[in-house]
Amino acid sequence: MASLIPIATLILLAAATSAAVPSGDDLVAELQTLRDQSPSGVIRLNDRLVSRFLSSVDTPRPYSFLIFFDANQLRSKAELHLPHLHSEFSLLSASFAAHHKEDDVSSSRLFFCDIEFGESQQSFGLFGVSSLPHARLVTPSTRSLRDSVSMDQSDISRGADSMADFVEAKTKISLGGPILRPPLISLRQVLFLLAAVLISAPFLIRRILEGDTFFHDRRVWMSLALFVYFFGVSGTMHNIIRNMPMVLPDRSNPDRLIFFYQGSGMQLGAEGFAIGSLYMVVGLVLAFVTHLLVRFRNISVQRGFMLVGMLLAYWAVSKVIYLDNWKTGYSIHAFWPKSWRG
Amino acid sequence: MGAKAAENGAKSSSSAPSPPPLKAFFRLKTKQQELLIRVASLALIYVLAFAVRLFSVLRYESMIHEFDPYFNYRTTLFLTRNGFYEFWNWFDSESWYPLGRIIGGTLYPGLMVTAALIYRLLRFLTFAVHIREVCVLTAPFFASNTTIVAYFFGKEIWDSGAGLVAAALIAICPGYISRSVAGSYDNEGVAIFALLFTFYLFVKAVNTGSLAWALASAFGYFYMVSAWGGYVFIINLIPLYVLVLLVTGRYSMRLYVAYNCMYILGMLLAMQIRFVGFQHVQSGEHMAAMGVFFLLQVFYFLDWVKYMLNDKQLFQSFLRITLTFAISVGALALGIGTASGYISPWTGRFYSLLDPTYAKDHIPIIASVSEHQPTAWSSFMFDFHILLFLFPAGLYFCFKRLSDATIFIVMYGLTSMYFAGVMVRLILVAAPAVCLISAIAISATVKNLTSLIRTKGKAPLAVSGKGSSSLKASAKRSEAQALRFRSLESAEAQALHFRSLESAEAQALASETSKAHEASADQSLPFQHNCAIALLVGAFYLLSRYAIHCTWVTSEAYSSPSIVLAARGAHGGRVIFDDYREAYYWLRQNTPADAKVMSWWDYGYQITAMGNRTVIVDNNTWNNTHIATVGRAMSSYEPEAYEIMQSLDVDYVLVVFGGLTGYSSDDINKFLWMVRIGGGVFPVIKEPDYLVNGEYRVDKGAAPKMLNCLMYKLAYYRFGEMTTEYGKPTGYDRARGVEIGNKDIKLEYLEEAFTTSNWIIRIYKVKPPKNRW
Repeated sequence: MASLIPIATLILLAAATSAAVPSGDDLVAELQTLRDQSPSGVIRLNDRLVSRFLSSVDTPRPYSFLIFFDANQLRSKAELHLPHLHSEFSLLSASFAAHHKEDDVSSSRLFFCDIEFGESQQSFGLFGVSSLPHARLVTPSTRSLRDSVSMDQSDISRGADSMADFVEAKTKISLGGPILRPPLISLRQVLFLLAAVLISAPFLIRRILEGDTFFHDRRVWMSLALFVYFFGVSGTMHNIIRNMPMVLPDRSNPDRLIFFYQGSGMQLGAEGFAIGSLYMVVGLVLAFVTHLLVRFRNISVQRGFMLVGMLLAYWAVSKVIYLDNWKTGYSIHAFWPKSWRG
Repeated sequence: MGAKAAENGAKSSSSAPSPPPLKAFFRLKTKQQELLIRVASLALIYVLAFAVRLFSVLRYESMIHEFDPYFNYRTTLFLTRNGFYEFWNWFDSESWYPLGRIIGGTLYPGLMVTAALIYRLLRFLTFAVHIREVCVLTAPFFASNTTIVAYFFGKEIWDSGAGLVAAALIAICPGYISRSVAGSYDNEGVAIFALLFTFYLFVKAVNTGSLAWALASAFGYFYMVSAWGGYVFIINLIPLYVLVLLVTGRYSMRLYVAYNCMYILGMLLAMQIRFVGFQHVQSGEHMAAMGVFFLLQVFYFLDWVKYMLNDKQLFQSFLRITLTFAISVGALALGIGTASGYISPWTGRFYSLLDPTYAKDHIPIIASVSEHQPTAWSSFMFDFHILLFLFPAGLYFCFKRLSDATIFIVMYGLTSMYFAGVMVRLILVAAPAVCLISAIAISATVKNLTSLIRTKGKAPLAVSGKGSSSLKASAKRSEAQALRFRSLESAEAQALHFRSLESAEAQALASETSKAHEASADQSLPFQHNCAIALLVGAFYLLSRYAIHCTWVTSEAYSSPSIVLAARGAHGGRVIFDDYREAYYWLRQNTPADAKVMSWWDYGYQITAMGNRTVIVDNNTWNNTHIATVGRAMSSYEPEAYEIMQSLDVDYVLVVFGGLTGYSSDDINKFLWMVRIGGGVFPVIKEPDYLVNGEYRVDKGAAPKMLNCLMYKLAYYRFGEMTTEYGKPTGYDRARGVEIGNKDIKLEYLEEAFTTSNWIIRIYKVKPPKNRW
């Protein structure tokens, strides 16, 4: 009996080790089940799953992992774009799954996973990830997780397409087709809109032909025109394209804010609007004086407003010119003949 | 115009009693005086526009500027030597070695053909000029012509006074000068002329409804297409304009004639340019024009049916059915065309204009070019100065006197203003529109003021109506005098450089005048006269500020050829670095005629044009892989780079280095782009290998790969022995302000062949393969 105990322990041990180190096929099957549970096919990893599928499995593993590192606490930070990047990652995963639906072999070679910092801090340490956004590719031969291939910032930030290129370059597994993005508006909406336009068009055009819409009101056009002008000269396009903030905090004095940025080629949001408004002031003064002021009967009122208008316009122009010289650092001067200088 | 005025003069002289002949010769009628002054001021403006662009020739010398113009120059040279057919079929084996480039099918030939024609003409007139001089002066010449077009355009949309002011404004507008100084031999120089000319002819065609003008505008369009890719702006703005006219109920037979003729003929002509070809009927960018074309036919058809039917009820139902049918067919055709790939989608560049954030997210190549950056307000101010203040005033005047022509200029102004906000370089396209609209503001204002001054002493005018209409009415009487006054002013203006005004005042003026007019209807104000004079003086003060600004900007900012560098010396004198040309001439004189030179693509055009040697890549960046190969070679270690250079048959490597002179746009500063572009195709190259903690350094703390890559070695070879600045260690890089990290550079596969006097260009010879035995 006493001799039986070691044997039993041996059997148990063997069973335990075989359970701890399952075969590659088992792992793949398990992963596929996990994958099927998520709509986009992205497996949510945690510390236990990382050790089960990655750190405790001998290389070469029968699969690669592309892991997206996520952190709920950082999702609110706009400059990291984590929600957007995660959705791109899910798109990539879903497209991969769609293109490899029939092909069981290649679809079981690459799995898309994400890890959330709050629930699996230990794994972040294993990978040595200290900053986000971050994505790693664990190839079958990667021994230590720290050595896994990290995706370039530029690849991540350019969305699903460049992520797919990265995967293809590193694993030789191609996506098998384009990224399948959901259309902005669904087919039904398109049809509905089309029908609406078609039905309303004759009525609209008839009214236009009769000349009785707000299109025929020149004031509408005028205000639109002034808006476009304001939009253009205030450098709003610059702010939109560059995502410029309205103001910057002053580094040397945190209580103060910088409204004007010195140096041409760059501007802050508030700065552009301030200048645009100065331009507009001049135009509006004109409109006011020519359009409204003439209706006043009282000559001295007219004269007073006229003077105020002129002063205002003068102030606006000199302000803009002063600011421009300050910003660009140019000192513009006339060229006089040398003999005049004395 | 001239003929009309002459006719008027003849009429008036015949009606007048004949004075003594000699006296009559000097005493001109008012109309004749006006004509004389107008022509004289136009002539002065013409000369001024040319002369102000010669700053670059005065400060440097008569030479071609920048990068792209060198390609244009080289092709023009080829064209004049070998004739048009050779040019059209030219396969250039000297660039993009070993691929070569088909020149005829990948360029807009308008500029070269124009320059060659001018050259032929001068030769025919026995002026022995060199083709280079013709090329250098082509842009100023066309800028002068643009002022004439601006005059006629201004005359068409407002009056001849506005035309004169517009001509004067555009003659010195920095936004336009930036691309048209002498030596700036680029497509834009000719294209802005063509653009404005086409627009003018089209507006004229719409105003007259004449087939002849429409035909002329089609030819103007053809010239524009042959000269610049920016023709897409025309083929979208004109349909948009037609659409707006349709929507606002301004459809007319004149419009129908003008647009149809211009579109059909313009399309057929444009398709003759190989670079455009069938794109004109297939690509998405041109679909708007086609859609509007069909829409016009529907309008015409409906008009006809309405005329035939004579029954309102019946016509309404017919209208509904036809429109539904037409719109669905159009939508269906567009859908099928796009889906089947027959209509190609918009190009990225076009799309990035409509949705400006698109380029930033999706096309880094477009987003990275400096002239594609979005415009900050200071650039607007720099390029337009007070015109920006006048612009809303001009808009206001245009809306007060709405016509087909003013609608056009308003739309041109606004669309181009929007595009100028998206890309810095498109300020150029906006410049004519801004000048024209501002000219309307100035002209209308000054006209009112001067007529005010002139009416003083006379009985108060009976003015009916209010606002600017009253101005117009009152101005009419003394128009001749006012005109004369105005043209005098503008003549003076250009002669001295005047013109800059507190726009504010200019507009205030306008308002003031109209107000004053209103008042003058009631009573003659004692202040009115003085006030008008004060405002006039203010206006001319501003205009003179504008002139000063433009002159300064032209002379200091826009006249640098960038191939010869100028710096302020220690004693305030100008120091000229002419290293580029030194190096290129060295190549020309000292290397075998079939030598292949590898450099970064920026210098490709210059090397082929001036050095007359074959290059691997150049500024026509059509093949990204090829550029990436060069980038890879530059960022690899010497042995790997040597293999790449062997595979490309490279004989010489040329690098630009600013460490000695402090010239900051050299290859070391551009190096990260080489790494990025190289790494984009060859993943072996990784940007982080060249950075230390995300920082780009060349000193001791630099990344090891950086310190030993080919570019670093070629730039800093033997630089460690050099003392550049007093009190600094040897090998002190003045462009980056650091002591370099690798002073002991040994070259194994290359040897130094030539370094220019200021070390800006360094040329290395690639050694032949080692003898194996």
